[in-house]
Amino acid sequence: MPRRKPGTLLPLEAEIVTAALSLLRAGEPAFHGFGLAQTLREQAGSRALTAHGTLYKALGRLEELGLLRSRWEEAAAAEGRPRRRLYELTEDGVAAAQRVAAGVAAPVSGGAGAVAGAPAAPVRARSRTTPEPAA
Amino acid sequence: MSAERAARLVALWARLYTLGLPAADARRLRDELAADLHDQIAAERAAGMAEPRIARGLASRALRGLPADLAWRGRRVAARTAYRLGLASALFSMLFTLWLMGAVGIVGVEGDPADQMYLGVLALGLLGAVAARFRPAGMARVLFAMAGAQALIAAIALAAGRASSPISSVPEIVGLNAIFAALFAASAALFRHAARAPADAR
Repeated sequence: MPRRKPGTLLPLEAEIVTAALSLLRAGEPAFHGFGLAQTLREQAGSRALTAHGTLYKALGRLEELGLLRSRWEEAAAAEGRPRRRLYELTEDGVAAAQRVAAGVAAPVSGGAGAVAGAPAAPVRARSRTTPEPAA
Repeated sequence: MSAERAARLVALWARLYTLGLPAADARRLRDELAADLHDQIAAERAAGMAEPRIARGLASRALRGLPADLAWRGRRVAARTAYRLGLASALFSMLFTLWLMGAVGIVGVEGDPADQMYLGVLALGLLGAVAARFRPAGMARVLFAMAGAQALIAAIALAAGRASSPISSVPEIVGLNAIFAALFAASAALFRHAARAPADAR
């Protein structure tokens, strides 16, 4: 994993929040890992899906940073397939994604200052994981 | 190779690299991966992709993620090791304080009322650990507070003239308390190291 500059997102993290913002604007606030991998592939015009290890660790870091929250899909909605972990942008996540999308590197209130030229986001660790119901 | 077989191999790899890690973290990761593998196979079959190509795609995603998986595991294991070392060091220091108080005395001879101050340090540790729910970040703060309290006791003992007694000297009071304060501070540093890992290592 590349070393993180204080107050910034790593490139994949920036791509994820941007993709999440575009999904939110398209009326799909919640997304899951494979769906996100497909969106990232389309946005990058790539042939390959993001690797499992890279993708889920990045999602975990964004959750720790308070930019995403997650919960398990309801068992009824899964209709027999494995339940998906659903992610959503938090308010901080939306703000960070907007800054990334706009290409603005402005200091983040309450968080670490941003590094010029890099996408800015608060980096204070704060988990927003929704308590998990019994499977 | 069928897509299902490739998915089973990827799932097996996830089982291997999460082995020995906290059950909730390992299960979440494996369940999330199971959903992803299922979704990819279903989507690519629906798109008319050939089985060997789906299998290669699954294997490729797993292989490209190997460094991230291994790095994540490394950080997790390091965090667990740091937490355990911090706990062991804190418990050893607390038990050693109790023994020293009873056996020879820290500030004066055994049973010296001044030594009762160390009970406050131990109480701070026990109550603080419960209040922090033994979470690494909270434990780090508690242990740093204990190190500070230990140093404060040394200062109080010196200010009260305890160093002038025939039993205790300035080097003894300063030295003993510095050793304990250093042990508590080292435990705190280990807990802080453990607390920092999760942000990088879900």
